[in-house]
Parts: sequence; structure tokens; C-alpha cells
Amino acid sequence: MFIPRPKQQEVLAYTGGYMGVSAVPGSGKTHTLSALAAQLVASGRLADDQEVLIVTLVNSAVDNFARRVDEFVTAAGLLPHVGYRVRTLHGLAHDIVRERPGLVGLANEFQIVDERTANEILTEAAETWAAGHPEMADLFLRPDLDDRKRDWIRREQWPGLVVEMAQEFIRLAKDMQLTPALLRAELDRRPEPLPLLEMGWAIYADYERGLSYRAAVDYDDLIRLALRALELDGEYLKRLRYRWPYILEDEAQDSSRLQERILRLLAGPNGNWVRVGDPNQAIFETFTTASPNFLRNFLQEPGVQAKELPNSGRSTPSIIALANFLVDWTRREHPTPAVREALVAPPYIEPTPQGDPQPNPPDDPEGIRLIARKFTPAEELEAVVNSLKRWLPEHPDRTVAVLVPRNDRGFAVVKALRDAEIEAIELLKSSQSTRETAGALGNILAFLADPVSSKKLATAYTVWRRADREDPQAASRLEHVARALRRCPAVEDFLWPRLGQEPPDVLGLADADEALCAQVRAFRELARRWQQAVVLPIDQLLLTIAADLFDQPADLAVAHKLAVTLEQIAGDHPHWRLPELTQELGAIARNERKFLGLAEADTGFDPDAHRGKVVVATMHKAKGLEWDRVYLMSVNAYDFPSARPGDAYISEKWFIRDNLNLNAEALAQLRGLLQADPLAAYLPAGQATAQARLDYAAERLRLLYVSITRARRELIITWNSGRQTFGEVQPAIPFIALRTWWEEYVATR
Amino acid sequence: MSLPPLTESQKACLALPLDRPIFLEGPAGTGKTTLAAARLLRWLEAGVPARAILVLTPQRTLAAAYTAVLRHPTAPPGGEVTVATLGGLAQRMIELFWPQVAEPAGFAAPTRPPISLTLETAQYYMARVVRPLLEEGYFDTIRVDRNRLYSQILDNLNKAAVIGFPYTEIAARLKAAWVGEAAQARVYDEAQECAARFREYCLAHNLLDFSLQYEVFARHLWPLPACRQYLIGRYTHLIADNIEEDTPVAHDLLAEWLPHCRAALLICDQNGGYRRFLGADPESAYRLRDLCREHVIFTASLIATPAMRALGRAMARALGHRGELTGHARPTSAATPADAPTGPRAALDYRAHRFYPEMLDWVADEIGRLVHEEGTPPAEIVVLAPYLTDALRFALATRLAARNVPVRSHRPSRALREEPATQCLLTIAALCHPAWGIQPTKYDVAHALMLAIDDLDLVRARLLAEIAYRVRDGRPTLLPFVDLEPAMQERITFLLGGRYEGLRTWVAARVEETRQPRPHRPDRPGSRRPASMPPTASLDHFFSRLFGELLSQPGYGFHRHHDAGEITANLIESVRKFRQIMPAPTAGDTFDLGREYVQMVQDGVVAAQYVRRWQRQPQDAVLLAPAYTFLMSNRPVSHQFWLDVGGMGWWERLYQPLTHPYVLSRRWAGGAWTDADEYTARQDALTALVLGLLRRCRTAIHLGLSELGESGNEQRGPLLQAVQRVLREA
Repeated sequence: MFIPRPKQQEVLAYTGGYMGVSAVPGSGKTHTLSALAAQLVASGRLADDQEVLIVTLVNSAVDNFARRVDEFVTAAGLLPHVGYRVRTLHGLAHDIVRERPGLVGLANEFQIVDERTANEILTEAAETWAAGHPEMADLFLRPDLDDRKRDWIRREQWPGLVVEMAQEFIRLAKDMQLTPALLRAELDRRPEPLPLLEMGWAIYADYERGLSYRAAVDYDDLIRLALRALELDGEYLKRLRYRWPYILEDEAQDSSRLQERILRLLAGPNGNWVRVGDPNQAIFETFTTASPNFLRNFLQEPGVQAKELPNSGRSTPSIIALANFLVDWTRREHPTPAVREALVAPPYIEPTPQGDPQPNPPDDPEGIRLIARKFTPAEELEAVVNSLKRWLPEHPDRTVAVLVPRNDRGFAVVKALRDAEIEAIELLKSSQSTRETAGALGNILAFLADPVSSKKLATAYTVWRRADREDPQAASRLEHVARALRRCPAVEDFLWPRLGQEPPDVLGLADADEALCAQVRAFRELARRWQQAVVLPIDQLLLTIAADLFDQPADLAVAHKLAVTLEQIAGDHPHWRLPELTQELGAIARNERKFLGLAEADTGFDPDAHRGKVVVATMHKAKGLEWDRVYLMSVNAYDFPSARPGDAYISEKWFIRDNLNLNAEALAQLRGLLQADPLAAYLPAGQATAQARLDYAAERLRLLYVSITRARRELIITWNSGRQTFGEVQPAIPFIALRTWWEEYVATR
Repeated sequence: MSLPPLTESQKACLALPLDRPIFLEGPAGTGKTTLAAARLLRWLEAGVPARAILVLTPQRTLAAAYTAVLRHPTAPPGGEVTVATLGGLAQRMIELFWPQVAEPAGFAAPTRPPISLTLETAQYYMARVVRPLLEEGYFDTIRVDRNRLYSQILDNLNKAAVIGFPYTEIAARLKAAWVGEAAQARVYDEAQECAARFREYCLAHNLLDFSLQYEVFARHLWPLPACRQYLIGRYTHLIADNIEEDTPVAHDLLAEWLPHCRAALLICDQNGGYRRFLGADPESAYRLRDLCREHVIFTASLIATPAMRALGRAMARALGHRGELTGHARPTSAATPADAPTGPRAALDYRAHRFYPEMLDWVADEIGRLVHEEGTPPAEIVVLAPYLTDALRFALATRLAARNVPVRSHRPSRALREEPATQCLLTIAALCHPAWGIQPTKYDVAHALMLAIDDLDLVRARLLAEIAYRVRDGRPTLLPFVDLEPAMQERITFLLGGRYEGLRTWVAARVEETRQPRPHRPDRPGSRRPASMPPTASLDHFFSRLFGELLSQPGYGFHRHHDAGEITANLIESVRKFRQIMPAPTAGDTFDLGREYVQMVQDGVVAAQYVRRWQRQPQDAVLLAPAYTFLMSNRPVSHQFWLDVGGMGWWERLYQPLTHPYVLSRRWAGGAWTDADEYTARQDALTALVLGLLRRCRTAIHLGLSELGESGNEQRGPLLQAVQRVLREA
């Protein structure tokens, strides 16, 4: 039962108009927004064909939202699933485009290319361009490089940088709604050529041709086209405004320009639009065109009801104090004044009021440790692993996470934990169910693609008997058979004996009990059936295997969707055979692809389901989650720079002259292109790089804030001195500030 | 088929004097076609010669009731009644009167015979015309699959022909209706240019696609006294059924023909118009009413139970249907007391599920129950969805097969190119023709060997392909079995090795034959190759030999599989048809029919070709079909299962950026096509579809509901909303 606290009640008192809500971490904003949605559905304000539209950031949030709204709606005695719609921005854009594809030049069977295909097209376009324009590299490479090194960079490093630049260039161009033709027209108006933009344009045009050939759009197009459809046809917009009289937007701090425009159009000037977010938790700017300024500015707009959700029952008062101090310090004392606006307040985080159903954990200043000691990366790993070794046995019921700035550091942590025989859970975006289903099918396909391999045959067997792993006795029998299969010298003698040998005999399992022999025989029949089905179209093959492999409805649903998806992919790539399709399935299993839909299979991550185990995640992926104990690693000046002289930046390549951030330079020129002043695109070299440093430093401050606020009871922060390739790295300046303050805080208590 | 006993209104209509045109209208399921068939028999009994009778339907499937009556043993003896579509009639007339129209119609070689194009071959030629323009950047502002692009340009030509406006006006009409970005409208000009180039090409090479057949007939043959006299003189008795599904040009023609008929019966289905995207125009059909002396309306459904009728009324209300609702009482009236015992719920059966496959299980269980426990004949059950993906068809067919329920589909589950046997044949063909430059992958070779050699399993086939298949200097080659390591020979076994060797030597012999000098090339479409050319020159002949000399022999894969033989026959037929319309090669062309054909298969141009003959589908079987396909079979059933009820597919029309069924219609008055137009069109189409389905259902509608659709998306479409409204009101 949700009992709203006073500040939440203020939000729930909403009846209409524009409202903006600043919510601190752990303030129950999603809960409040779900309750508001349910309240609107139940209020009887909606006609039969109207819905409350809820827009959220990621797929995993969609189902959580829907479930919560359903709970509220059902509690109010109404039918679930009716009267509201939860969508990510991509989902919403898809709905909009899907209904009127012709408006934006699409047919109704238009395809959305997945990220891998998009990357393939882009990489090919960028590499072709780079190979055809060797002079471009010379414009930007450091002049002091010797010839051998230069050649090596041209060959090994430069093409990769071009691909990376093209990627961001195209994303921004699409965000600015610039087609290659419009961009060309703009470039032709300039008196002098702009080499970076010329490069971007050429690759962009080629990339678009690649998409066009496939009758496809990419994910960025989807959003761009949705906005265009709304702008082009006022009547369509009017109809959608009627359909969605209320728009509730969650995670509004990660809104992009296009998202804001789409929602603003849908809401209309006198419409009803509630935006909830925390500007201090905007951490996706680097990868996207999002910006927390949209929410901040919205909150300032005249006529917008600005509310706050400052109470959070998540963390101990000490952790709250630390997070609030980071905000204050940034705003008052950050050594680079230009980043002082990175974090905003009020609202500061406040503990929940007395009697709140979600009280804060009891205070424990001892639970916070900011380790000043300089570690090498290896020492830091060792220290964290040792700490966990001590802590875990004493806290089997608590949750714990190790948060790192980057994936590669995460892999190292996982490996170190596993070496120390500590169970580690890698936090991945896709859910277990999708991954496991895709993984199981992928293993069978891999066996069919390489039917000669006894190893893959053994894997197929373990996939089929995967339930046995839960029971120690069955698991050992499973391993016994799998080992025998792996050792099978000639797979055909087991599967297709010409002399009528018995399957257990071929495997040297003649002594096994009858039950096991029967199991082996049954597996052989199954494997033979799958092998005979190998000539079927991929969708039919997958469905055939799935029917033998799964009995859970969710698994079968995922399999069905995979079948439809792979059939489509096979149609796009007529020359692909089983190995390529198996790879594709593997990529879905590893979640390298956006696999839209199937919300149930993507319900997000529940930290509480992994008590007594260590969750390893990037700080970005930890957003929205909480653990009893949290380790923050690598809080040094390389991962958390402060825009100070001497800071090194990941986006500034060592082989580029003047420490230029070419990406930033190109993007700034592109932005300048749309300004009234035709010379605005001609920026002094380095200006954009400097601005990018400030933006990055600001975003990393917010990332630190997000990371700190993941902890409920205990927080341990460490730093390391880096790989020392480019000199020794110092602790992050905010880390030093936090530590200094913390020492005083503890001393004065 | 013998006719069922007639109702009073049918009898009254049958008794009308024989010598007059009658316009008969009414909703589906009121016995109009039955009456027409009875009247047809009455004409024959009254001594009207069969050859003087023409039965015209817009689509061949709609003529099934007539052909069934005419083929029944009790049908009066005599000549043959002509049952045709206008397109078919046009084709026949063109063949008859070709020398007289070829020149005036603009064909470059009037002395040579015309070549009729099928949809596929027209697509092939369109591709040849458009491809170079695509390279120049045509259509780069829209995203559409190439094959769809070609078909839309063809579709525009067809629309101009069946609606009766010059094809040169296509772009102007579409541009006038366009509300999007002005710059985007240039694609219509590009489409126009492609259409013009295609037309020129056809005229230059005596090729007749559907649009040219229609146009030549309507513009040149029908006005030609000889042709008109022939038709009017021969066909004095006319039945035109489902005229609401026919085109304005067909209606024009009927309007001119009617005064010359001794007797005629025109039948119009109210609330129809399902073929609108093919140019159907129900409003235009009503022009013919005033030309008939008698006007009869049937209103009482002979099919639906009271509950089903109540459901029809409720659904019409829920969909906000504004128009006239004949056959389902007044739309505005709330449920009357008479409805009470048999309210709409009695005709509805549904179960909500979370996941799509759960819903399929339920559908299969329900069908199993109906067939095995209630004794419902399988043919009385249809499963309908807005469109059927291959995965859905396969998933459902497997489930029904597991429950011992015979099933058939509107098309077989696999296209010709997806048939494993086809793949096997094409791979071996590539091995035999190294000059094509096609190098099959090891997987293709392994699969081909597995299918071609009897008893060869996948593992050994893979071993063989790994070791014995090589590509040398771009030429695929198979190594002799004796060249393999003895250990490997043992693993493969000598029995299978011997069969492999048989195949390999056959392939090697064909390769040797193709080393002879290149064959003479045809200089125009339809020309035959000289007899002196080597046997591999014609691919159809090659396949015949491959089948006859090798694959059908004992020890080879097709020996025991009759299906594979039928598929080979189909493939041969497909290649032959393709060869007959082959284009003139240009100078220096390295043209090769075989390679061209294989290329076309790979490009998906022949994707739509299905194996027909061997697919002798069981007649008493549950039908799986898209909803519109079922409507066009015009056959009532007892139970309908609607799948994906929440899906948007029920509400969406086929949307293609280069064409427009409403703007390219005779009714379109010009001006912009707005969102309101679009919305109204879709609501009307959904209402018509739903009512059309309900009127063809006797007992119950079973709704397969799943919260998440086939692709895992939430399902909240307008049909679902309408059903909810019905349930709430009931």
C-alpha cells in the first residue's frame, strides 16, 4: 500500500497544466508518477479512446511502470491495461511513425536496423572515406611524430577515430534534423571549406544511402521522423493530442532536444504535461544529445508548477550529508568556476519525515570510508576483493555492489572476484530471460552450424538438460555424459551409426544405469531431428528447436520473437547462413543489440535478488538501483577530471595535434552551421575542445553524485594511479574535497 | 455443388422475367450468389446457349460458386459458360485482335506476337528499367524495399488503367494530395518517369503487363467495331457478381454493354470494397443500378445466428459506424429486448493471455475441441489475422498437426526458393556452371549433398563438404572420393562415398560440357535457342537431366521423395516461363539465362512464387489466412478465430509511399489527403472488414488475445478497444 508523504501528495494534487518536479535520488518519483497516472485513469476524465501517455527512458522501466500503474488501477477497482500507455521515446516515436509512415517517406513494412547493422554500414562508409582521403589525417596528426609512427597511426588508429567521429556527427546531424542534402546546401553557402564537416557530410550521405538501400531507418531516424510527422500534419497532431490528453515524463533530466519538442508538441500550449527528473542525475550527455538544461529551463518557465520531492529514505544521514556536500562544494568551491553549475540545489536530499513508512537506515558514520591511499590499479583490485572477502561471510543477507567508471575495469573486477572464488553478478542491460533463451537457442544453432564438433554436441546436451544444474546429483550425471560426448572421436558414430551401435556404447557409457542410457538415447533422437531440420528457413528451425527446449511461456514468447527477428535479418542478408545467424543470435544474447519489446523479459535488475553476492556494474548502469554497501573504484583525475590544466581526457587522442578533441571540434562546427552568422562555424581550433572538457567534467561530477547516492548503509571510495602510460594520475579533486570534509565532519560529531 | 433450397425472396427474384437486367444488392450472406447461380441454371434450362453466357467477377476466387454449379453432374449439358475476370477477357481479346490494335496502341512490332507478363516478370522488367535510375539517386529520400518500389510503380500504372485516366497524370494527382514536405514530392515525379520508361520499354518489345492489357482493351479494342460486335454478339446473357469489388473501367464497360444484353444480373455486396487498394470502387458500381429495369434488395442473413447478428450490430456501434447498416438493423438503436436472450456475448468466445504463444496454444486447443469433441468439420473453421508471418503460420500449423487437425493455408508455408529441394538444385547447378562465378558456401554444399545423397546425414555431409569441396581460381570443384584420406573415407563409409562419387562424376561431366564455346544469344524476347547449343544452355533442361539422370535414381535423395520431384517440376516450369520472356541482350552483354535466373531468385523477385501443383492441400481442413484473403474467398464458416485482436494491423491499410488507393481513385476530387481523411478511411475499412467477417460467420467468433504481440509489443489497437466497448455494453 502506497502512502504518499506530504511532498508526494503535493504532486498527486495535480489536475492539469504544465508541472515540473525536481526529485532527489530515492525520493520515490517513479512510484509517485505511477500513482498519479493511475489517479488520472481512475478519475473518469478520459474518454474510451484516450490514454495517459507515460514516457520513460529505458525499456526496463516500461514494464515496472506498467506494473505499478496496474496495481494502483486494479486497487481502484478498474480493469488493468486500459487507459494508459507506457513508452520509451523510441517506442513512442515508433508508434507515431508506424501510424502514418507515408508522411515521412516510409512504407508500412519499414525496417529499423539494429545497432550492429547500423555500425557495419557506418564503418564501411567511414573506412572507405578515410582510405580515399589520406591527406585528411595529415591535417590533424601531431607534427612531431616520426614517419614510421605516422604510418602506423594512419593505418591502425586514424580509421577508428574517423568511424567514431562519423558516428557522433551523424547522430547530432539527425538531432538537428539536417539531412545530407540540407547539410550540403549549408556547406555550399560557406566561403571556405570546413574539412571536418566535409568529411562528416560525405560519410553521412554514404551511410544514408546504405540505409536507403535496405529500406531501413536507424533508431535516431525514428525520433527525427516522428517529430517531422507531427510538424508536417497538424491534423494528425491534433488527433494524437486528443488521444493523449495527459503526458507524464519520467527521467526528464535525460531529455534531448527532440524528445522535448515531440512532447511539447503532443502536449500543446494548453495541455497537461508533467516532467519529473533530477537534474543532478543527468549522466548520458556524452553518449547522446540529452541535456539536463531542458528540465532546468522548463522548471523556470512561466506557468509551470514547480514542485520538489526532497525526501529520501534510501541512505543513512551520513551518506546523505556526503552527497549534499558534493553539491555544495561544486557550487561554491569547485576550482573551475565554469563547472559550478554541474549540480543544482535546492532541493537537497532530506531524510524522510518522522513516521514515514520508508525510514532512513540508522546513521553509521563508520560505514563511510574514503581511502586516501594511492593504489596501483592492481592494488586497488586486491584491496576491494580482500575487503569483500572479509565482509561477505558476515553479511549474507545484505546487498553489495562494486561500481566502476568503465566496462573494462568491470571485467577486471569480475575476473579478480572469480579468481578469489567470490560469486560476481555482471549487471547487464538485458534481462536473464532474453539472454538465456537466446543463449540456449544460440548453442543449439552453433551445434547445427558445426555438426562435426563433439564439443558443441556436448554443449547442446547441457543446454537440453540445463535444469539438471540445480541439483548436485543430477549435475554430476550431466557432467559425466557431457564429458563422454566431448570425448566422442567421431560424432557421426554417435548420431548416425552405420553399424547400428547403441548410443551409450559409442560414448563408453555402457555401464550407466538404464535411466541415463534412456536419456542419452532421447538426446540422440532430438539431435538427429534438429539436424534434419537444418535445411528449413531459420524461423522454422528456431521454432522447432524451441518447442523441444522450452516449456515456459515467457521463453517460448522470446523464442517466437527471435524467430521473427532472425527471419527478417536473414531476408536482409540473403547470403547469410547458419554461422552468421548463430552469431547474430549470440549478439542478441550478449545484448549487443537493442532487442525492443517483450517487456516481461526485460523487467530490469533487482539488486535484492542477489543478496550475499557481489554485483559488478558501471556507474552508469547502476542508476536507479541501490545496495546496502557500495564500492566506488577508480575515482581519480583521469576518470573524474576537473577541467584543470594537466588533466588528461579520454576523448583527446594522443596522436592528434594540440590535444584537440576532434569529435568536439566537428560537432561544434556542425552546431555553428545552423546559426544566422555564416561564419559561426569557423571556430578557433581548440575552443570546442576546451568546452568539451568543461562539459565532461560537469557530467562526471553528476556521475559521482549518482554513484554516492546508490549506497544505503555503507560506502567505500578508492582511487588508483592509472596505467601510468601518460604520467601518474592523481586522485580526483572532488574526491579530495569529499575526504577533507568528511574528516572534519566525523571529527566534529 | 447443388443449390440449397431457395428462400421466398430468392424464389421471387428467380421468378422475374428472364429478359431484363436486374440489379441485386444486399449484405454478404443474404443468398445473392446462390440466387445468381440458380438464375444461370434457369437460363440454361430455358435454352440459352452456354456460350452466350458470360459470368464476370473481379477476382477468380469469387467465381468459385459458379464454376462449382456448372461442373456439377446435374448441370444442363451443352457448351461452356465463360467465367472470367475483365483482365482475363482483355487478354483473350488482345490475342484475338492483336493485328488490328498493335499499331494504334503504339507497339513497335505489330507483326510479332505479344508477350503477356505475369506479376513476377513485369517486376523483373521494371527492375531492369529502374535500377540504373536508382544508381543516379532516384528515390533516395524514401525508404522502401526495392521489390516493393517496383511493385508500386506497376501498381500506379494499373490504377491509371483500371480507373481510366492517362498514366501520365499519376504524379500530378499524388502531388496535389501530398501534405508532407514539398521537396519530398519529387519522388512522385521520379515514379512517373519510371512508369513512362517502363511503358516505353513494353511498347518497344511487345510486352503487355496488366495495365497495358487493360488499357489496350478499354481504349483500343472495345471501341473497335469488330471486337465490340464480337463480344456483344456472342455474350447476350451477363452475370456480374461482386461488382463492388470491380473497377470503374469495368463498370464503364458494363454500362455500355448492358443495353445490348438480352438478360443480365448485376450483384452488389453492400459495405464491401475490400479490393480498394486494387482499384475497386463500390460507389462507381451503383451507377449501374439505374441502368437495370429491376432493383432487388436482399436483407435477411441466411448465415448468422441471432447472437451473431447482435454482435454485428454491437460492433458497428462500437466502431462508431455512421453509414447505412443493412442486414444488421439500425446502428443507433441500443440493444432491444428481443436481443436479450441472444446478446452479442453469446457469439463471442475469448481468453486473454500474456504471451503470444500461449494464445496460439489456446487457439489450437479450442480448435481441437471443436473438431474432436463437438464434431465440427475442420473446413468450417478459419483462423484469421491481419497478416500472417511465416513463423505464425508454422507455429500454428505444427500445433494443429499435433492435435490431429488437418490444416491448410492461403499459401504453402514456403516459397519456392525456400524449399530445401530448390536450394539443393540451385547449388548443384552452380557447381555445374563454374562460368556463372557463383561459389556456393560449404554449408550450401553440405546441405545439398545431404539432400541429394540418400541416407547421407548432416555430419558426414559436412565432413565431405569440408574436405572434398574446393574453390580453385574462383571455380567450385568437387574432389574424387579416392583422393580422400583412408581414415576419412572410412568415416564417410564406402557406400555413401560411392554415391558421392556418382554425383561428382555427373557434375564433372556437365562442367566439361559447359567448356564448349558460348551459345548463341537470343536477339529478342521469346526467341528459342538454336538446336545446336549444348544441353547446359537451358537451365530448365539442365534441371530435367539432373533430376532424371541423377537425383531420381536409387541411392539419391529424390528417389524416395515425391515432393522433391514435384518441386523440381515447378522449378523447371518457373525457369521455362522466365526463359520465354527473356529480354534482348545488349551488345557485349555476357548474358546467361541461368545466372540471371539464379540472381533473380536471390534478389527475391521470384520470392512470391509458390509451389502449387504438389501442394494438394486437404479440402476439409482448417484454413489459416489473412482476413482479407478469407473475405475474397466469399465462403461462410461456422467458427472464426481472430488472432492479434489488439494488433494495429487490423486498422492499418497497406501504406506505400509512392501510391495511394484513395487519391488514385475516380472519386477523389483533388486537394490534400489529410489526417482526417486517413482516419476516416481506416475506421471505415475496419468497420467494413469486421462486418464482412461477421456476416460470413455462422456460430461463433473466437478472439485470441495476448497482451504482448508476436514481436513482444503491447497490443492496444482499435479493434481491441471496440471489443472492449461491446463487452462493457453487453
